[in-house]
Amino acid sequence: MTQVQLNAVRKEFGSFVALEHIDLDIQSGELVALLGPSGCGKTTTLRMISGLDNPTNGEILFDGNDVSDVPVRDRNVGMVFQRYALFPHMSVEKNITFGLRVRDIPASEVSERLEEILDIVQLTAFRDRFPAQLSGGQMQRVAIARTLITKPSVLMMDEPLANLDTNLRGEMRRFIRELQQRFNITTIFVTHDQVEAMELSDRVAVLFDGRLEQFDTPDGIYHRPDKTSVAKFMGASNIIDGVVGDGGLKTAFADLSIGDGGAFGAGSQVKAMVRSEAIRLLKEPEAGAQNQLSGTIRTADFFGATVSYVVQVGDYELNVDEHSTEMLEPDTPVYLQLPSDRIWLFPDEKG
Amino acid sequence: MAGRKVTNTFNRLSPFQRFYLIAVAALIVGPFAPLIIQSLAFRWAWPNLLPSVWWLEQREKSPIPLAWDYVLSPYSRIYEATINTMAIGLAVTVICLAICLPAARVLARERFRGKNSFEFFLSLPLIVPEAAIGIALLMIFINLGLAGSYVGIIIAHLIPTIPYMVRMLTAVYQGLGREFEEQAMILGANRWQILRMVTLPMLMPGVVAGALFTFLVSSNIFLLTFFLGQGKIITLPTLLFSKISGGTLDASAAGITLIVSLPGIILLVISERFIKEEAFGKGFGN
Ligand SMILES: Nc1ncnc2c1ncn2[C@@H]1O[C@H](COP(=O)(O)OP(=O)(O)OP(=O)(O)O)[C@@H](O)[C@H]1O
Ligand SMILES: [Mg+2]
Repeated sequence: MTQVQLNAVRKEFGSFVALEHIDLDIQSGELVALLGPSGCGKTTTLRMISGLDNPTNGEILFDGNDVSDVPVRDRNVGMVFQRYALFPHMSVEKNITFGLRVRDIPASEVSERLEEILDIVQLTAFRDRFPAQLSGGQMQRVAIARTLITKPSVLMMDEPLANLDTNLRGEMRRFIRELQQRFNITTIFVTHDQVEAMELSDRVAVLFDGRLEQFDTPDGIYHRPDKTSVAKFMGASNIIDGVVGDGGLKTAFADLSIGDGGAFGAGSQVKAMVRSEAIRLLKEPEAGAQNQLSGTIRTADFFGATVSYVVQVGDYELNVDEHSTEMLEPDTPVYLQLPSDRIWLFPDEKG
Repeated sequence: MAGRKVTNTFNRLSPFQRFYLIAVAALIVGPFAPLIIQSLAFRWAWPNLLPSVWWLEQREKSPIPLAWDYVLSPYSRIYEATINTMAIGLAVTVICLAICLPAARVLARERFRGKNSFEFFLSLPLIVPEAAIGIALLMIFINLGLAGSYVGIIIAHLIPTIPYMVRMLTAVYQGLGREFEEQAMILGANRWQILRMVTLPMLMPGVVAGALFTFLVSSNIFLLTFFLGQGKIITLPTLLFSKISGGTLDASAAGITLIVSLPGIILLVISERFIKEEAFGKGFGN
């Protein structure tokens, strides 16, 4: 139950700048995902919040107090490492109680809290095993239990699910979400999987190359990205150049009507995003429909529940995702509808 | 357990495989055979392959083997030499560990300018002939008044043992990622608790191996001890040398040799036990 704030945090390793300038304001009890490609500085951010590393510039505040002089062991944070870091020479039980034993908590309380947490993470049967005798999911639960038992006020998890298979991942996601809500701990977790970030978190912080690109709700990041780079990272495949006209968008292949176009004056150069699943694909044209374009299917890729088409419209190719109830062959002529309220405009960026 | 496995499968090996195993065994055990025989002989003159007279046949003349009678008597100074060897070995091992543990940690974890050349120079004491080091040290130590003292010998013994120890511990530290100590810190442990509960137990196999090795090397060093002990401090190797320097391996020298080998054999057995059962049996090696 702590509010965490990063003010203009910068981190250099020698001449290499790992984090340029991070401002992040995390509410008490919030679950925030740090999302970004490999090497963008996610682990570095966590390490500075935990106190393992110090920022080169800027400050980190817990509940409004600068913690730069508070040593790691007094910050009352918890961190689950990317590779768990279970102590190999200690049994599950000894691993989990480590944080209590080093704090001289009476044995009776230790065993009480141990039983409670073993029950929560469902590891009672494995309490005497050593880490080498556990599966990946079990190791991860030990790592989480070892951290939770110390009742941290800020919980950090570094790609906690990266080493797990798909089924276990889903299970562990629900498990983490449940725990987080039950204890109401301010939680920051790192991932480079956008689906995971959206499913789990209250807000997502997107990090590229040591810069915070956007900090918003999953819905905002997905539907209203600030930049094309964020949109692309979130899987948007149709990003179109255009010029705003009166209530419409002039593009290379069609004039599209857009909702309000509001912030952009007529004549401004913009990029527009239409998510592939927002486009409707029809075999026959619909009379009087808005933004209806005719095109031809180029390729069709089957992904189980969905089919992903590349449709050629004029000289331009659009990606369209449809349910796989019916699969259309390449070269089939089709009609596309781009709902005007699903067209999102970015200001044109240089470069 | 392990021994039984070997005998069970030895018969199933091909003749070639058996040949190599026997060759290795012969070269390792072989040198001990004449020593054992010699120490139990009454008269054994060249060119007889075995003693012409065994002690057992002459029992009424001496109650225990002649050689052993002498070796175990105060005249042989074997007790003094054993105690010196043990004490020096122990001191060298402890000091070596105290220096090398922190040094290995730095070498394994930090990057600094000149690290590569530093690592190269680490091996220097192993390349330069022992005699040269011994003479150089002797000149320095005479000036410092350390010649013929325990301190002088212990310092001399650190020279060839530190390179091995640093290398061994650096490798172990490299295998031990820093995240274990960081995790312990986040969980609230202080420096001392981290060392005691996390670092040392995880380094244990390497520390034990390094310590045993250092002790063995120290208890076998002849030349440096000989130069710097100046005859005032005798250890098992220098005692042995004084017995065989005449050019003959008589029964008592053979007996001393066997005694000199004992600490090593005992330590070897302990280390095998310890490293296998204590450390790896408990879920290491993952
Ligand atoms: N101790 C260090 N010394 C020098 N450079 C470092 C150090 N730690 C991290 N870096 C660099 O800082 C950048 C960010 O590293 P960081 O570990 O935070 O990445 P990450 O976002 O966690 O990546 P991943 O998803 O691969 O774990 C990387 O380019 C990395 O090489
Ligand atoms: Mg990382």
